[in-house]
Amino acid sequence: MLKYDLETIKKCANNLMFDMTDEQYEVLLGEFKTIIKEMELLDEIEGVNDISPMTFPFDVTTSYLREDEALTCLDKEEVLKNAKEVLDGQIKLPKVVG
Amino acid sequence: MYLGKTIEELHELLVSKKVTPLELTKEAIEALKKDQTNALETLCEKEAIEFASSLIEPEVDNPFWGIPYACKDNFSTKGILTTASSNILKDYVPVFDATVVEKLKAAKAVLICKTTLDELAMGGTGTSGHKGITYNPYDPSKTYKIGGSSCGSASVCAQGIVPFSLGSDTGDSVRKPASYAGLVGVKPTWGRISRFGLFPFAPSLDHVGYFTRSVKDSALVLSLLAGEDLTHDATCSTKPVEDYYSLINGDIKGKKIAYIKEINEGIKDQCIKDKFNECIDILREKGAEVNEVSIDKKILSAIYPSYMVISCAEATSNNANLDGIKFGPRVGEVSTYQEVMINARTKGFGELIKRRFVIGSYSLLSANKEELFIKAQRIRHLIVDKVNEVLKNYDAILAPCSGKVKSPIVNNSDNIFSDIDVDSMIIENHLGIGNFAGLPSISIPVGIDQGMPFDFNLTCKAFDEVNMFNLAYSLEKELNLVNLSTVKKVNE
Amino acid sequence: MNFEAVIGIEIHVEMKTKSKMFSSSPVAFAKEANTLVSPLDIAFPGTMPIVNKQAVINAIRVSNALHMEIDNELHFDRKNYFYSDLPKGFQITQDQRPIGKNGYVDVKLSNGTVKRIEIERLHMEEDTCKQLHMADYTLLDYNRAGTPLIEIVSRPSIRSGEEAMKYVEAIKSIVVFTDVSDGKMEEGSLRCDVNVSIRPYGSDKFGTKVEVKNLNSTANVQRAIDFEVKRQTKLLLSGVKVEQETRRFDEMKRETVLMRKKTDAIDYKYFEEPNIVPIKLSDDFIQNAISTCPELASQKLERYIKVGLTEEEANQMLQNRLMASYFDECLKINPKRAKAYWNWLNGDILAYLNKNEIEITSLKVTPDNLDSLIDMIEKSTLSFNQARNVFEKMTIDNKSASLIADESGLKQNSNEDEIRKIVLQTIEEFPQSVVDYKAGKDRAVGFLVGQIMKKTKGKVNPQITSKLVVEILKTK
Repeated sequence: MLKYDLETIKKCANNLMFDMTDEQYEVLLGEFKTIIKEMELLDEIEGVNDISPMTFPFDVTTSYLREDEALTCLDKEEVLKNAKEVLDGQIKLPKVVG
Repeated sequence: MYLGKTIEELHELLVSKKVTPLELTKEAIEALKKDQTNALETLCEKEAIEFASSLIEPEVDNPFWGIPYACKDNFSTKGILTTASSNILKDYVPVFDATVVEKLKAAKAVLICKTTLDELAMGGTGTSGHKGITYNPYDPSKTYKIGGSSCGSASVCAQGIVPFSLGSDTGDSVRKPASYAGLVGVKPTWGRISRFGLFPFAPSLDHVGYFTRSVKDSALVLSLLAGEDLTHDATCSTKPVEDYYSLINGDIKGKKIAYIKEINEGIKDQCIKDKFNECIDILREKGAEVNEVSIDKKILSAIYPSYMVISCAEATSNNANLDGIKFGPRVGEVSTYQEVMINARTKGFGELIKRRFVIGSYSLLSANKEELFIKAQRIRHLIVDKVNEVLKNYDAILAPCSGKVKSPIVNNSDNIFSDIDVDSMIIENHLGIGNFAGLPSISIPVGIDQGMPFDFNLTCKAFDEVNMFNLAYSLEKELNLVNLSTVKKVNE
Repeated sequence: MNFEAVIGIEIHVEMKTKSKMFSSSPVAFAKEANTLVSPLDIAFPGTMPIVNKQAVINAIRVSNALHMEIDNELHFDRKNYFYSDLPKGFQITQDQRPIGKNGYVDVKLSNGTVKRIEIERLHMEEDTCKQLHMADYTLLDYNRAGTPLIEIVSRPSIRSGEEAMKYVEAIKSIVVFTDVSDGKMEEGSLRCDVNVSIRPYGSDKFGTKVEVKNLNSTANVQRAIDFEVKRQTKLLLSGVKVEQETRRFDEMKRETVLMRKKTDAIDYKYFEEPNIVPIKLSDDFIQNAISTCPELASQKLERYIKVGLTEEEANQMLQNRLMASYFDECLKINPKRAKAYWNWLNGDILAYLNKNEIEITSLKVTPDNLDSLIDMIEKSTLSFNQARNVFEKMTIDNKSASLIADESGLKQNSNEDEIRKIVLQTIEEFPQSVVDYKAGKDRAVGFLVGQIMKKTKGKVNPQITSKLVVEILKTK
């Protein structure tokens, strides 16, 4: 049985670097209830535990590897264009500790 | 004057110099300014007029020369604001073009606008973008949805403003709105079109897709967009691109088409049922074999939960780059880098997105991963195997895109698992099979009921786009529903 | 109670490829901030990773040198976490299927025994961006973001500071000689994190593990571990539990200091990278990577001993890869002169390089010219001291030894006929020396040679001169 109380999902959200309102957490709890129930039901499907998990849509492999050549990259201005705080050609953040 | 025309028709007019790219562009821009559906993120007026003005001598062999098009706002466009309809990207201006945008630029198609989507393409209703609901142009009462996530691109194409528009399809985000908007909606084989520059939702399911108003136009678009992109997207196939347009011959004699009993059991509207039978008759008349096949309902009803788990899990990771450091807003007074991230993400993401991220992240935690993410990946494998088993004996699977012609806009319609019956859950989500298995899939208009159009879908074997277009064309021709738009009077 | 140390080491090696692990932007150091950045490196939306072939070749070569099983299919995974230096919010690494696994390296300890250190895995991944911490803010430079890394994880089979040091030295030597990395710990191109715990001898349980970071030399690896073992022993003996924590080595104090207590382990939510489809590595590709691999230090060592160096001398040579490859060039010219080359390289050449603070690659004296210099000494065309003078001139411009000797009139005369004339003439000038010699006073020979040297300003071969002096005196 998977555990999904308010505390667990709050922690989960905070680890994703955002917060939600209490109301939103309530809705989410409801969704958790449904999705976990649905996922548990899937155990009834024949063969589900005998088949390997699939990442790619079909059996696809390649032998392509990129040649190690340095190509032109972005101008410094382009790199920094979308950053909100820039100092000395670098992105500025509050002091990072530890 | 020139609204509501196909690429083929516009090409004729351009080549015979009856109209110039600039005139087309200006007309489209004027029409966009009057848009009543909230389909626009950014109108590229200046850029489009400048580019169209530079197009003087028509290129006879280039069907895209001077053709205006629209682009979903989750494709990277150099120098043009690209928001993915999310506040966290509300001022992001990319420094590079997506491969498809670059190809269209090289073919001298004119980008006239960036269109709305469900926030970060994570939704199917057309209601969750940061600019609010995008409406269906076929429904002036604004009651019924256009669907999503490629809602804006569907709307502007359905309004006849552009003959084609780019979308993306992770679950059915092109093929479902195509149905509500009476358009041809295509998502080819996974890896057929480069995804470089498409903001990822769930890369193992993401596809570049597009809307057109005719099957032949959609074949033209694929020939242009498809092809390898080794320097940018190594998942993109190196298989040669075919001349899909020329290969359309309307001959479907001996082709085998399956429809899935359990999917069709979810059909609610009689007109869809009738139309389905009519289509079967047409196909048989033209020499195709059509048979009913069966797939375990338990497996089909597993599509939605496993899709949610896989797509949300991948999405939480793909969107972890949106942290307010390199781009995106810096919100409020901050004294730590964590606060930079938390403020940007808390204010930047909508509610639905956050809930989906939490579900995805939870599914990947080591304590839950086997029970959720890995199990969903196993289910995916099972479903893919079943469908490919069917396609071993058939050229295509024909299915309705939805159980109903129209679906009302509901406030919280995007809550996961609004209580619906199993049959509805299957028919409303089966298009995700095409994403699970990466199969080429096309929705084409088949009927109009009380002024609202609806599509059926054909899904074929991987890289068998030629058959897909040919079958779709045969149906389109017989049904005589080519080039629907709200510009023309819709005949019932 | 007696304790034994259980040590495991994770080593990150920055590769010196031309381009990054997953993008085509250049890998370079000390360049203007944010000038080596592609859209992928800074995680602009819509960018996708493309695997660097040379990085894979490098990983295969190092795996092979560490006797590892090499996977014939590449799989990558995402390691998900948020940090200010992590552009994408995840790092692409190889969690499930590292390219190399189950290897070892043998290290020779100071007591002469050989210890086999087992290695669990080797995988490829990408570096983060660089943070510059100022007094009250931090600056981010994305030049380093995406630099290819190899991570090598040992099993906890290391038992002492010395073993750890030798292990790190061995890894360093391998990555340097295979040309995979600069391997400079002081510059961060080889970084190691050490896990240290102790347990009573004979126990098969593990004690509480302490992680030590910030080790910028192999000597400090040993020092930090020795300190840490002592610290933990003292704690346990006085009945205090060892806390699970991260410590760093303070070079000045030569002790480890607490950085942070270990909180809950981070759950990295690994899953397979969906933007990199599995990459098949053919047997040919793997074999080719191995067969074209630059020679390892251990292979060179064997070869050097064969051509006549002692093990100590050979090891001395292998301290510097560039020196060794210069030496290899020399050996190609004449392997019989191995010792002579070694003497020059470890003598005047090393002194010259050190004095001028340059690498041997900047030395103007080519192996060919060094050989010709040695040739002149062997043929007695130059005395050793003259050769040193010539060498000094050779470092200024790359002229051959004989040309320089000619130009500066340094060439030593070894022509017996010419010398004989001078000897006869000198003996005539000093008849007393003949008398002395006959009376058995051998120093007469030395006296005459000295006079001849003075007269010729040292330009005659002393051995030949001395031989002729004796010869002629005998006939008198």
